[in-house]
Amino acid sequence: MENTNYKAEQAGYYKVLIGLLVLTAITFVQPGLFLEHYTFSAQMIIGTIKAWLILMYYMHLKGEKEIITFGIFSLFIVLVFFVIVIGFDVANFQYTDLSHITSGDTAAAVSETHGAAHSEPVHH
Amino acid sequence: MGHAYVPEIAVDRDGKEHEVQGWQDDIYGAKLGFWLFMFTEVLMFGAMFLALTYYFSLHHEDFLIASSSLNRVLGGTNTVVLLFSALTMGLGLLKMRHGDIKGAKLMIWATILLACVFLGIKAVEWTAEYNHGIFLGLDALQAGNEHSKPFGQILFFGMYFTMTGIHGFHIILGIGIMLWLLKRINAGKVTPEHHILHFNIALYWDLVHLIWVFVFPYYYMIGAGLTGGAH
Repeated sequence: MENTNYKAEQAGYYKVLIGLLVLTAITFVQPGLFLEHYTFSAQMIIGTIKAWLILMYYMHLKGEKEIITFGIFSLFIVLVFFVIVIGFDVANFQYTDLSHITSGDTAAAVSETHGAAHSEPVHH
Repeated sequence: MGHAYVPEIAVDRDGKEHEVQGWQDDIYGAKLGFWLFMFTEVLMFGAMFLALTYYFSLHHEDFLIASSSLNRVLGGTNTVVLLFSALTMGLGLLKMRHGDIKGAKLMIWATILLACVFLGIKAVEWTAEYNHGIFLGLDALQAGNEHSKPFGQILFFGMYFTMTGIHGFHIILGIGIMLWLLKRINAGKVTPEHHILHFNIALYWDLVHLIWVFVFPYYYMIGAGLTGGAH
């Protein structure tokens, strides 16, 4: 019985591995194969599916209702604080010329002022 | 003024009361406590991902150009390396739970080896970027000089080195605690009957893997549709 459980659990680990490898392969081919104009969204969806597999099976969260609830609550708290911080940023900087972090136009102006907008990619 | 000793009482499934002698075997408490720690990690990385998303919305083109210049082959190889390391860590825990201590130790060593491979590949990647003038503190990532990159790219690379650096630091910490775990197993402190430390370290390693699952597409893949990057 013990040995049967071991074999079943081991098989579960390998099944999840295959799923994650397939999703990783999809991550690689997606930009040239499908949803070419929505690469960011497609990549995040694939990443979320991978994360779900890892959380449920490798991190043994399946059936752990308390931990899942606490996790969702924590993510909600992060979002609230993020919105507050960004709210300050937008209110104080985005619509003024003070910040070249939040203003694309001002950033361009800064680059032009110093006459240096190099954007060559790094080739390895 | 000391407090009088009041024994703590735990109740088993049959309703019988027992005086608590220690909390070493409180598996659920240990697991929940470790999840609390991991939520602090999620808070930190979550905030960084949200900031990244915000700046991506402001400097869309710059982020895509910068992303297209990263080496996807090295990044992808590291993704697969971490994936297999999560498997070896999980199998190690499974072997420990079923009494195969030797097999568990072998799997932990395999995980350490894969973690070192990850760090080696990262070192190669960072060295190549440094040699191309792309690194924190170099002129290309400082505003206001003739070598400056556009500001959106400075933001992208700044966050790239910060987040992959913090992630790499977590990998180094992981290697450290896995070596400590091996020491505890050798000392007979972690056994098939008392394996909560092994369980929690496996959870930590899965979290490190989980963070990379989002770091990789966010930095390496969003600009993959553009030409000119290293493939």
